[in-house]
Amino acid sequence: MDLEVYQRKQKRRNTAIIIAFFMMLLLSVLISMRSGYSSLSVTDILRVILGGGSENEELVLFSFRLPRIVLSIMVGMGLATAGCLLQAVTGNALADTGILGINAGAGLMVVLYVIAFGTQSASAIFTLPFAALLGASGAFLLIYLLIKKRDLGISPFSMVMTGIAVQAGLSALTTLMVIKLDDTQYAFVSSWQSGSIWGANWTFVLAVLPWLCILLIAAMCKARVLDILGLREETAAGLGLRIKKEQQGILLIAVGLAGACVSVSGSISFVGLMAPHIARRLVGPRHNTLMPVCALVGSVLVSVADTIARVIIQPSSLPT
Amino acid sequence: MNVIETKNLDLAYEDHQVVVNLNLTIPAGKITSLIGPNGCGKSTILKALGRILKPRGGFVYLNSRDIQQLPTKTVAKALSILPQAPVAPSGLTVWELVSYGRFPRRKTIGKLTAEDREIIDWTLEETNLADLGTAVVDNLSGGQRQRVWIAMAIAQQTELILLDEPTTYLDLAYQLEVLEMLEKLNRERNCTIAMVLHDLNLASRFSDYLIAVLDGRIIAEGSAEAVMVPAVLHDTFGIDGEITQDPRTGKPACISYHLTTSRK
Repeated sequence: MDLEVYQRKQKRRNTAIIIAFFMMLLLSVLISMRSGYSSLSVTDILRVILGGGSENEELVLFSFRLPRIVLSIMVGMGLATAGCLLQAVTGNALADTGILGINAGAGLMVVLYVIAFGTQSASAIFTLPFAALLGASGAFLLIYLLIKKRDLGISPFSMVMTGIAVQAGLSALTTLMVIKLDDTQYAFVSSWQSGSIWGANWTFVLAVLPWLCILLIAAMCKARVLDILGLREETAAGLGLRIKKEQQGILLIAVGLAGACVSVSGSISFVGLMAPHIARRLVGPRHNTLMPVCALVGSVLVSVADTIARVIIQPSSLPT
Repeated sequence: MNVIETKNLDLAYEDHQVVVNLNLTIPAGKITSLIGPNGCGKSTILKALGRILKPRGGFVYLNSRDIQQLPTKTVAKALSILPQAPVAPSGLTVWELVSYGRFPRRKTIGKLTAEDREIIDWTLEETNLADLGTAVVDNLSGGQRQRVWIAMAIAQQTELILLDEPTTYLDLAYQLEVLEMLEKLNRERNCTIAMVLHDLNLASRFSDYLIAVLDGRIIAEGSAEAVMVPAVLHDTFGIDGEITQDPRTGKPACISYHLTTSRK
């Protein structure tokens, strides 16, 4: 097949896939805006957005539902991208921030932070992602040190096994800490822990948004490096890639993304695992196209999951 | 002109010392083959030359400069290396994989330049892969895939190409195709080629220079006529070989051989 014809075909196909997922996202957002304790019809929603809604309706839509919807999209994008980066850097198709205990590390720090500072003040919430980042990096460092100490070599198998162990340990510690919480703290943490985006408000969104933007852009800049890393170490080194340095940088971005997302939505596992695989199946392995599609798929996954969780046993809701 | 050489080189994996005090030179503008039995260290030496393995001691000099002191990108512009059994992510097309060879020469941000594209297209032509540009690498035969990897190394446009067993697992015809392609590169673009080969007769036929290695030491080096002699084969491989002349190429060939009784 002629190269130009092929490339045009690919472009058209990828565009179609992106549009399809955007539609899914839009649909999920609409359904989410509609449903909940008080249901709003589509015309109601339009009316409220255009400024003609009652105070009550505005409250429901703008203060309760929209931030949660926006948050679920952001978290989906962040975790999916983190998973994509992890999988590329570790050469491990099973890598995901949940499985590797990175989410659990962030979780432990969040709980400790909440015990120390509470969840009421805005400044506490804005600095929450930092604490989560610390926990996330700590967990990853722990895995790395454990692997090195026992001389296992950084193989996919050793990473996943050690990660599972670390995740279990950190989760146990977190549960222990949770016992020490008071009622309001406990309410926040327990729903947060199960990955529910309950209690989402615009403060959370604003706390995470700058991080997400910076880190996602940083991830996209690494697209070419990720491609070369996929060729395994020897070939990549032969092509002039400074492997250790690039791996460290990319891991930092992944851990940062995971930390930021986990800090506001709790540990949501498997988005980081599934989204890259789904995206890869659809648009191929080149990260220029893979990463944005992966982020899109991730946002659809979390958004849909969150919508289902809210809708399925109305009026109460399932953890996401 | 690229010259790569080692001085007092020590190479080791963990506690296992593979090469001790090696002084080796890869002659510029020629095709050199490293031959030797399994575990003799020839792949290890090649990796050290390609800056994939860090020496325990001693130096590797690329154009008289210590290769460990040079930035990775600089090295990648001077030499390309094709390791044993390279792996590519599934779903990649031939054109895309070959385009990765341009990585060391590309700016950090930006698309492939027109020059990059020209070089990739030219490389596919030279390696007889022009028809396979849009084929997925996973679906190709072993020989075709190997040609794609070599094409990627060629697209890097380096004066020195290192190859670790480029013909292992290939059938007779593909082996010749690959080696003839390397010969062409050497002849037309004056590329220095250094490769590890298992097949003695192919090494003899296609190389200007042979280096026989055993236990990390050079047993003999020189032209095929100088190295393909019974004494060297005995010392290096532990075989008792009969050297004849290939009727078509005139190069020394060893077709008939037996184990010596004193082989370790």
